[in-house]
Amino acid sequence: MSNYLELISLPTAFFIILAVSLVSAFFLLWEKVPVHFVRYHIGIISLPPIVALCGLFSSKHDGSVMYGPWRFDSLSLLLALFVLTIGVVVQRYSVRYLFGDHSYRKYFTLLTLTTFADTLVWLSNDLRILLVCWGVTLLGLTLLIRLNKEWQVARKAAASSGRIFLLSWLILLVAVIWITQTTGHWQLSAILEKSNLAQLASWERTCISLLLIVAMIIPSAQFPFQRWLLDSVVAPTPVSAVMHAGIVNAGGLMFTRFAPLFNGGDSAQLILLVLSGVSVLLGTGIMLVHVDYKRQLVGSTIAQMGFMLIQCALGAYLAAIIHAVLHGLFKASLFLQAGSAIQHRETHSFKGRSFPVLWTITGVIFGLIFSIGYWLNSGGEGYHIISTLILGWSVIFAWVGLVAFGSGRIGRVAGLAFLAGAVIMFKFIHTLLDSLLHETVMSGMQPPTPTVILALIILLGGSAFGLWLTNNRSSTAFTVIYLWLVHLGEPHKDLVESHPKYLSYRRSFRWQRH
Amino acid sequence: MATTLAKPLHWEEIQEDLSLDIHELVKSASEVIAPLGPISKFAARSPWAGLERQSFEQTARRFKDICDIELFPHDSVLKSARDQGEIDVNFLEKGLQQWLDRHSFELPRAAAEQFCRVALTKDTPSSDLTAHPEVKRLAKKLSGFKYQLKARQSVKTLSQRFEKIGNGSVLRDLNRHLIKWCKLFLDESQAVWSMPNREEGFYQAWRRMASLDPALSLEERRQIKNLPKEADMALNEALSHLGIHPSETREYLEAHLLALPGWAGMMLWRSQQHSNESSLLTDYLAVRISMELLLMKPYLPLPTQGTKEDVLLESLIAAWFHWGNFPIKAWSQLPAAEQKARLNLAWQFDRIVRNKLWMEAWEKTYEQQLMEKIASKQQAGTEPKLPSLAQFVFCIDVRSEPFRRKLEQTEVFETFGAAGFFGLPIETFKLHSHHSHPSLPVLNKPQFKVKEYLPESQYQPFHERLQAVNSLQGTFKTMKHNLLASMLLPEVSGPWLSMQTLGRTFLPRRAGRAFKKLLDTWFRKPDVKLTLDRKEDPAEAKLPVGFSEEEKVHYVEQALKTIGLTDYFAPLVVICGHGSHSTNNPYASSLDCGACGGASSAFNAKVLATLCNLPHVRQALKERGISIPEETVFAAAEHITTLDELHWVYLPKLSDKAEVAYTQIQAALPKVSEQATLERIRELPSLKGNLKNPKAEVERLAEDWSEIRPEWGLAGNAAFVIGERSLTEACNLEGRVFLHNYNWKKDKNGSLLAGIIAGPGTVCQMINLQYYASAVAPHYYGSGNKATQTVTSGIGVMQGNASDLLSGLPWQSVMQSDETVYHAPIRLLVVIQAPKEYVERLLNQDRAFFQKVQNGWLRLASIDPEGNWKSWS
Repeated sequence: MSNYLELISLPTAFFIILAVSLVSAFFLLWEKVPVHFVRYHIGIISLPPIVALCGLFSSKHDGSVMYGPWRFDSLSLLLALFVLTIGVVVQRYSVRYLFGDHSYRKYFTLLTLTTFADTLVWLSNDLRILLVCWGVTLLGLTLLIRLNKEWQVARKAAASSGRIFLLSWLILLVAVIWITQTTGHWQLSAILEKSNLAQLASWERTCISLLLIVAMIIPSAQFPFQRWLLDSVVAPTPVSAVMHAGIVNAGGLMFTRFAPLFNGGDSAQLILLVLSGVSVLLGTGIMLVHVDYKRQLVGSTIAQMGFMLIQCALGAYLAAIIHAVLHGLFKASLFLQAGSAIQHRETHSFKGRSFPVLWTITGVIFGLIFSIGYWLNSGGEGYHIISTLILGWSVIFAWVGLVAFGSGRIGRVAGLAFLAGAVIMFKFIHTLLDSLLHETVMSGMQPPTPTVILALIILLGGSAFGLWLTNNRSSTAFTVIYLWLVHLGEPHKDLVESHPKYLSYRRSFRWQRH
Repeated sequence: MATTLAKPLHWEEIQEDLSLDIHELVKSASEVIAPLGPISKFAARSPWAGLERQSFEQTARRFKDICDIELFPHDSVLKSARDQGEIDVNFLEKGLQQWLDRHSFELPRAAAEQFCRVALTKDTPSSDLTAHPEVKRLAKKLSGFKYQLKARQSVKTLSQRFEKIGNGSVLRDLNRHLIKWCKLFLDESQAVWSMPNREEGFYQAWRRMASLDPALSLEERRQIKNLPKEADMALNEALSHLGIHPSETREYLEAHLLALPGWAGMMLWRSQQHSNESSLLTDYLAVRISMELLLMKPYLPLPTQGTKEDVLLESLIAAWFHWGNFPIKAWSQLPAAEQKARLNLAWQFDRIVRNKLWMEAWEKTYEQQLMEKIASKQQAGTEPKLPSLAQFVFCIDVRSEPFRRKLEQTEVFETFGAAGFFGLPIETFKLHSHHSHPSLPVLNKPQFKVKEYLPESQYQPFHERLQAVNSLQGTFKTMKHNLLASMLLPEVSGPWLSMQTLGRTFLPRRAGRAFKKLLDTWFRKPDVKLTLDRKEDPAEAKLPVGFSEEEKVHYVEQALKTIGLTDYFAPLVVICGHGSHSTNNPYASSLDCGACGGASSAFNAKVLATLCNLPHVRQALKERGISIPEETVFAAAEHITTLDELHWVYLPKLSDKAEVAYTQIQAALPKVSEQATLERIRELPSLKGNLKNPKAEVERLAEDWSEIRPEWGLAGNAAFVIGERSLTEACNLEGRVFLHNYNWKKDKNGSLLAGIIAGPGTVCQMINLQYYASAVAPHYYGSGNKATQTVTSGIGVMQGNASDLLSGLPWQSVMQSDETVYHAPIRLLVVIQAPKEYVERLLNQDRAFFQKVQNGWLRLASIDPEGNWKSWS
């Protein structure tokens, strides 16, 4: 494959295949094409991620390759691989899952269009293309929510998401125009050169940063713009999977692309940190109090995106990208298996079992050694304080669940094996992504200590407060917070319908003799 | 009441009297809804089980009036069924004649007939016509007749009436609040922080919490704080503030229950499960109606007039113009009596009547087809058959029929049909399950508990292996809910999950099977034993564990008699339960055995087979006239309906003859499976034209996590034949018929028949009406589109952002696609093979069944020993 690629160059191959896939997606819309063409369509759209994968691992060159207005560096190829893979998985899933749906064909066209546009956003170096592609992505997503348009709830949800998307896109437009007008370039790589950035006054950079932040926390469903994601539970499961895996994380990716623009630790970063910190707490809270499986997943997404943006605010762009990608895969899987939420109920609980003190102490010691080791290795500044904390805590946590509470020798050995498997996989993936990305993803400026402390306060304070609430469930404070979280996690009042009436006055049914 | 008030009474006593009253009222109002259990044990229930005192048509009218839902199939469904020859128009004509005979109109019969005939076949008049100025003018002129045509209106809730007037969203808000409180209250461990104060009961918890709810205004919260402490008092108070007349209270409560029948049904179900929650439905209504009062207060009192403009007369005139070809000008020349008669005919012959006639014609056509099918094969002659090598007892489930047919075609096996719980009223407790499962029809109460157990030496290692896997899931879940750990969780589990995702997506069949195999290898589940002998266990206060010796004999005897297997035992008798395999399907249990409360009936099959092999049971049976030969061995198997396979679940040591039979069965099964699959797979919608490997395809259906229709379940069910298998053996019943063995000659006093009708008969009727309801009212009695559902509270599903807790079957289980209906919405036809007197006796003795037949909740026919068919409906 790589020989072949050298012959016609990777970008050419990539764009040809992308174009073919797009043609196939629109071809499917044509009534005369038999429905089973969709299986060939899946075959065709499986090629672009394969090409992206080849590109990612065959590129021996350092830095980026420009191909007209496009940039093919390891970051953009990784993101292309990620978004396209999500797209293929979800479309393959929809082949059976949406079979018989009135808009069956349209789902594939729109899913292809949306994921391709999203891919091109991360490949484009020209901000005009970036704007257009990002607009198409948001439009595609809105249309996907709206596809079941006979259902008024879906229609209204699409309208409200569409409005907020438009707002975010317009803000992005303003930010981009501001940058390009001042620096005189449309090429992102040119803009971000030191000499060009220097043309922006400090206040301008802050303002542009702020505009970018607002434009990107909207699609990331961060406080106070979490509404649209909470309302979009009306979308069919595969659409939710794409939305939560491939699109909400755009904020983190965009900030990484624009990283040099942000001054370390200025007020814009601080605002981002506060908003995303609030979102982490809010999202986690929503996840804890709500009882609908998909709504819990929405809460979790808000929190995870908050964490990704905290990483960005602290200048840990590489960590943010890794988090965005792995979270996307994680969330897509959870959405696609949302039908199993019933069966998962009979999992075991640790309640009513004596607490294994000795094993837990061992775990704490193990966790401490582990995190100290990690900390010493990582350089130990800025964001690493937070990642060390989370890592150590998680190791202890997992140890308690898997090993300390493991029943009998078999249970403990299996628990240890699971833990080891998790650690090895974690290490492997991180090393792999790190080696792929460390040259293209610049690490931001070290955040000033107060910012790090603020982030720590948000995370630790939130944890402590949560723990206190858990232990004071009969208090009025708990009730009030509980009710607020329920209230904030509820859908908009116009987006609830007691029975899906559209099913009863559907066009015309037919009865088919078997 | 008046007499008690005349006497000086203490206030408490009056209060007590009132509250007793309201509890009774709630109880009787609850008949309009059906209890709704958790989806994990999906119950086959008719949504109208409490309404069978009324006729089907009356019920349909009522639901049309209160909830605006149609209970008869849609016009377009009926028309397309006719176009495909499923409805014989002669039956339609006959139905029309009967209808006209029953009603008298002061019109020439020919004119009435003509009008009705056209109305049945032609489309409804367009709305342009009703809005036509000439029609309007005429309607005004004739408005004197309006009051003679008014039917009694059902009582509606104030919020409903308010919405009808066309302003405000009170009804929507009310529903939304109730959905929120119900799901939080009823949650079973989906949420980590559960609703505080739940243990105090629904009303109390709501009252305490709603007074702090930020979704309400300060004023509203203050009012909630001042509500009475007890639910019944609050309910009474709210009703009187809303000005509900005592004579209408019951109907008012009914209308409220029907607003969210799912959540109310879950409350009802819970109230029947635990004695300490018995007043849950009163709590629910107290919350709902107090909340209604709160939200409606600013708009009260409602204007009595000014409801939406009535277009009744216009539509009747338009109908005469459109169907009766009767010009608008001609009305003025008619005498008043004829004007009235014409209006009356058009009014009475409404959509409900028309669609009812259509559906009945469909049902009669099906009956005719079934009759002809059975009759045509009857004449083929009954040659004496060889004694069979093995006998199989299957569940009555419609999915057994094709499999039995294929099995019988080998000509060495004989099959029987009986309800899949095999008459055992047991609650099963599986090894390592946290809950017991009532494995019998939902209307019956279990009387025994049967547990799986292992000897300690085997139990401990198995337990540890199981716990290891559980602790992985448990740790995943707790990490997900911990603020700090949840931030790392995607990075740790993401790669593993995406490996699974890629596997399941691109190699659904292989990945699913490999995963299952891996787990099986790890668990190495040993053969479990069952607690069949009575054990005195003080921990099990509620139900006795196991059977006493006498009970064992009794239930085995009962079961064998019901099955109709009391002599000519083959060397091997296989009791077959059935279960289904599907992945990522919240409705998995709806595909399991309906007679076992939504679980596989393999457990019951194993219990029965084991009991049948006990020497002392056989000894006692011999004394009662059932002698089972020594060499006969009972075994149990599970019919996997998704795969058309038979898996052994209990295979004791076989006698020599049984061994021979077993070898034959093993040799025959692959072929039988293949043929059954081939017949069934054609029915499932597929992208592939011709399947090269049907077996692989059904395996994929079972394992594919994206599969929306793993199998058709019981969709298509239409009839229940109670009679000898020889009656239907030669017919292809297309998997649409429940089959129960019955030999009237062995049932002199009719008790077996009565038992079959009361037990399995009711199960079949409920299954049928559940499918029917899900097909005709998919949004209300079905559970909507599977793709937009979300599991909520661990107990059920909602649509989209939030909705009623949905009952019934999802859209995809009754629809082939968004446009095409798969399940034919017709009522169950019960066919009994017995002399006329038997059926008469049955109808006289079982009044509930008589009521079902008379009121059209099912249809009845019989075949007498001479082979004559008689319709009783």
